[in-house]
Amino acid sequence: MSELQNTLSFGNRLKRTWNSDLCWRFRHSPVAIISFAVTLLLVLSAVFAPIVAPYNPFDPGSLNLMNGFTPPSTPNAFTGDQFLLGTDDQGRDILSTILYGMRISLFVGFAAVSLGMFIGVTLGLIAGYFGGIIDAIIMRIADIQLTFPSILVALLIFGVAKGFTPVEYRDEVALWVLIIAIGLSDWVQFARVVRGATLVEKNKEYVQAARLIGRSSGSIIFGHILRNVMSPVLVIATISLALAIIAEATLSFLGVGVPPTQPSLGTLIRIGQGFLFSGEWWILLFPAVTLLSLALAVNLMGDWLRDALNPKLK
Amino acid sequence: MFSFLIRRVLQAGLVLLIVGFVAFSMFNFVGDPIDNMLGTERTQADIDRLRTQLGLDQPFVVQYWKFLANAVEGNLGVSYRQGRPVAEIIAERAPATLELATVSALFAVGVGVLLGIYTAIRRDGLVSHIIMSVSLIGVSLPTFLIGILLIYLFSVELDWLPSFGRGEVTDLGGWTTGFLTTSGLKALILPGITLGLFQMTLIMRLVRSEMLEVLRQDYIRFARARGLSEKAINFRHALKNTLVPVITVTGLQLGSIIAFAIITETVFQWPGVGLLFINAVQFVDIPVMAAYLMLISVMFVAINLIVDILYVAIDPRLRS
Amino acid sequence: MRKTLAATAVALLSVQAASAETFRWAGTTDPQTMDPHAVNSAPVLGFLNNVYEGLMRRNQQMQIEPALATGWEPIGTEGWRFHLRKDVKFHDGSDFTAEDVVFSYERATRPESDVSSWFASVSGIKAVDDYTVEFYTAAPNPIFPDTITNFMIMDKGWTEANSSAVPAKDAENFATRNTNGTGAFKVVERQPDLKTVVEPFGGWWDEATHNITSAEYTPIQNPATAVAALLSGEVDMINPVPTQDVARLSNSPDVKVLEDIEARVIMFGFANQADTLKYSADAGKPNPFKDARVRQAVNHAINVDAIVQTIMRGSAQPVSQLVSPAMRGYSESLAERPAYDLDKARALLAEAGYADGFSFGMKCPNNRYINDEAVCQAAVGMLAQIGLDVELETMPVSNYWPELRAQNFDMYMLGWSPGSFDAEHPIRFLVTTPNPEKKLGSWNFGAFSNDRVDELLPQIQSEIDDDKRQALLDESTKILQDEAGYVPMYVQALLWGARSNVDLTQRADNFFMLRWVTVN
Repeated sequence: MSELQNTLSFGNRLKRTWNSDLCWRFRHSPVAIISFAVTLLLVLSAVFAPIVAPYNPFDPGSLNLMNGFTPPSTPNAFTGDQFLLGTDDQGRDILSTILYGMRISLFVGFAAVSLGMFIGVTLGLIAGYFGGIIDAIIMRIADIQLTFPSILVALLIFGVAKGFTPVEYRDEVALWVLIIAIGLSDWVQFARVVRGATLVEKNKEYVQAARLIGRSSGSIIFGHILRNVMSPVLVIATISLALAIIAEATLSFLGVGVPPTQPSLGTLIRIGQGFLFSGEWWILLFPAVTLLSLALAVNLMGDWLRDALNPKLK
Repeated sequence: MFSFLIRRVLQAGLVLLIVGFVAFSMFNFVGDPIDNMLGTERTQADIDRLRTQLGLDQPFVVQYWKFLANAVEGNLGVSYRQGRPVAEIIAERAPATLELATVSALFAVGVGVLLGIYTAIRRDGLVSHIIMSVSLIGVSLPTFLIGILLIYLFSVELDWLPSFGRGEVTDLGGWTTGFLTTSGLKALILPGITLGLFQMTLIMRLVRSEMLEVLRQDYIRFARARGLSEKAINFRHALKNTLVPVITVTGLQLGSIIAFAIITETVFQWPGVGLLFINAVQFVDIPVMAAYLMLISVMFVAINLIVDILYVAIDPRLRS
Repeated sequence: MRKTLAATAVALLSVQAASAETFRWAGTTDPQTMDPHAVNSAPVLGFLNNVYEGLMRRNQQMQIEPALATGWEPIGTEGWRFHLRKDVKFHDGSDFTAEDVVFSYERATRPESDVSSWFASVSGIKAVDDYTVEFYTAAPNPIFPDTITNFMIMDKGWTEANSSAVPAKDAENFATRNTNGTGAFKVVERQPDLKTVVEPFGGWWDEATHNITSAEYTPIQNPATAVAALLSGEVDMINPVPTQDVARLSNSPDVKVLEDIEARVIMFGFANQADTLKYSADAGKPNPFKDARVRQAVNHAINVDAIVQTIMRGSAQPVSQLVSPAMRGYSESLAERPAYDLDKARALLAEAGYADGFSFGMKCPNNRYINDEAVCQAAVGMLAQIGLDVELETMPVSNYWPELRAQNFDMYMLGWSPGSFDAEHPIRFLVTTPNPEKKLGSWNFGAFSNDRVDELLPQIQSEIDDDKRQALLDESTKILQDEAGYVPMYVQALLWGARSNVDLTQRADNFFMLRWVTVN
């Protein structure tokens, strides 16, 4: 709680220092540079997976079952094919599957955070700017939802959606349900922070001035205040991204996520878990390490960003 | 202070009403309960009879009221999947989850506070840096992966601890406990750590940052200037002032522990309500889902209320 | 306070005393019900065979021996007469008589029963006296005793008193969670999905050869967890051992792996009669699987050898028909599987008018058969190579049967183990046109229908001459192969794991009988 408040009290000073100070800090923090580089590398390789990946593991027709369980960088006993990180039980190249799987993880992560951010920022601005009964209603809803951990909210939304969707469409909508489930469980953080920042901003002189010259509420909110509350939002978005990626992996691991023919990192780990005792460690290890690197890099970036925007916390 | 408490209690009641409404809506609008309860060989007479029996022919508000009244009496409907009262199933499973949550919470708070204090006092020490770095990895590792790794290491490779279930439990008049047998206690260790680890890191980081904040305050400097011992400063003054936010967050995290138990229970095949819930989600067993939702919300609201009260008790400024 | 402490101490002591000898075993699924007539599936029947008994039972070599009946003989060609064992008690102490057999027959043949097909040939039943029962058959049925070994007898008084005279398939009644059999073990605790505890029944009519004082069954959903539990000694026996872990378990001195070929054939079935496809992008379009050529194409496109070699790691046997070679009535002359031939498959599709393929939905269980989900995924890949775009949905077995019964599939996976160990069994259940009145085709979910097979079945059932009977079976098998009503793939392996100090018998029907367990 107090961390958040500290972040937002800093919002104002930030706008002036954003360009110079932040960049300077970034250049002088090895952690920031490395985590940024790792994130960038992973995101780019996921985005360009169709170009980078040696195979397309989501195309069932391209798989050869006889390639199943090929160890990393060792020729397969039957086909002689070789794979850098080995293959899984279906003969899918692990490297390609990780890249394609990461696409799903990142897509779900970004989309869910964007959704959460959109809802949260909008409601936070409205609540903070107008105050009164609107504020009370929005923030009570936020309080209620905050008492429920996101994974539970996501599971509930998932379960309810499953009940609503006709069976024949379940596969198609699974991904979107996942995004909505994670996104909806995520907006409260944004709303609280933005509301706090808005409360501070709204009494500033420039807002008063804008009001005096007759600017509409909408243009004040989105034209002025929004720009000035963006930095704490950025911090939360980064940390939320890491949480969303983990949430997606967790849901897929629990078997309520994406369909098995389109494995994400969580699905891969679930499959790999079955081969942990039998010596096919690569099916579990590589996806797990990828997931860890991704979440860790994003988390470190978020941590650094928060500290950089609020040196008092260091 | 009194009015503050009244307000909080009213708010808590409102929250429960709303959650009850969500649960009720799930019950009534997701899937057709009639469809779920009668098999394929049903007649119109069967359908009408069940509809009347379930009260589905009555106005919405009446149905909602009945649903709430039933829930308060502990009648939470009948599981579509197991065909027996949900309340009975949950009562059977609850001890497992509550015991697991208790162990994890003790672990998270105990270890979290200790490490938090340590890393704050020795903020530049090597050990502190290592602890902080490892904790970040801990936050980035999904719970289920930690569980799998712990099982692999301690159950399979080292063969020290059990890999699943509660071990031997003792039945104390409807409450099954694993605290009374060696195998029951051993079975609690791995899932307890898995479940508590995330909360532990959170509490540790929170204690550390609060402590650092407090240590910078003027009165601590004065205390130092007055020549008080480091120990007295750290524990009598600094720690005490760190506690308020720590209690808030810890309280909220306790709720999370119960909810996160879903994952841990799945990995360790722990026979609690979390495992029940995840199966219910897969089977779209709405009564179980709805009941779980209500149960968790009652628990959360209660925890929040207690936290609020504690808050007032600890921080005199809020009493006015 | 002191009292509670004392009570706790006593509880502690008793728990430890009990735990020393409790035999624990685990499988992937929980028996859905304790009702012996409600669900005709191996996890249920296998478990309940420890608790309930039939008129006859199978020994360790799967041969039939007397159980609740001491002897039986045909009544000319009209049926069979069974002489019942005297002085048999149910677990609640009531006596076993002919009345219970008649009651159980009536219960098992109700429309709500899942096992009524066992009695398809039976036209009536009569209790001649307290210890003699006669089953009448419409036509001579020489193998009738073989087909009813899993027909378990319930106590009339107990069942009626607890208003459970009607089996509850998808719902629940008293008999779903409580038992009252005559078997060697009685259920003392039943927590669905958690554990089921049995203890030896002191009043059992037969002499106990096991040394179990208490046994506990736990379903462990995750096979890897089950392996870990066996390795660490938390359970004494698991079924099945995941194929990939056989090597590791065999190398451990504390555990052993028992491997055999199960009687279960794993196959794909189709919506043979549905007019339209139900799933995927092509939902609503005419159903291509009505055309035998399309089904044939699927048969040629599935590379069974590859599945056996990789996913099954060699522990399965490709098969060409609905029964394994070890079953009576297996068609030796038709033992060859259709060749894995993609060109032929594509040609067949083109001939049927689907040169560009089509898309459809496949249903699979994910915790019923060994590696079921992986095999289905592999099949999706193989079918993609002939232009079929498969949308796969997998689910736990407790969801799966209701989906199949509701015909929610275009294509589906099924495993079949003939309870009678005879090739007639799958014809009766899976191949004849479904007919609830005649209790036929009750598991023929895709409604495969062939007039000649329907004609053949009664002939097979009543033929006494072995060679003639085999000729009839061969004809039926040939029709099914030509029509590709099902795509039989392989005979599943039987893989059990046990602690080294446990002696047990692995029966080919995958039933685990506690009465043959000795813990050393």
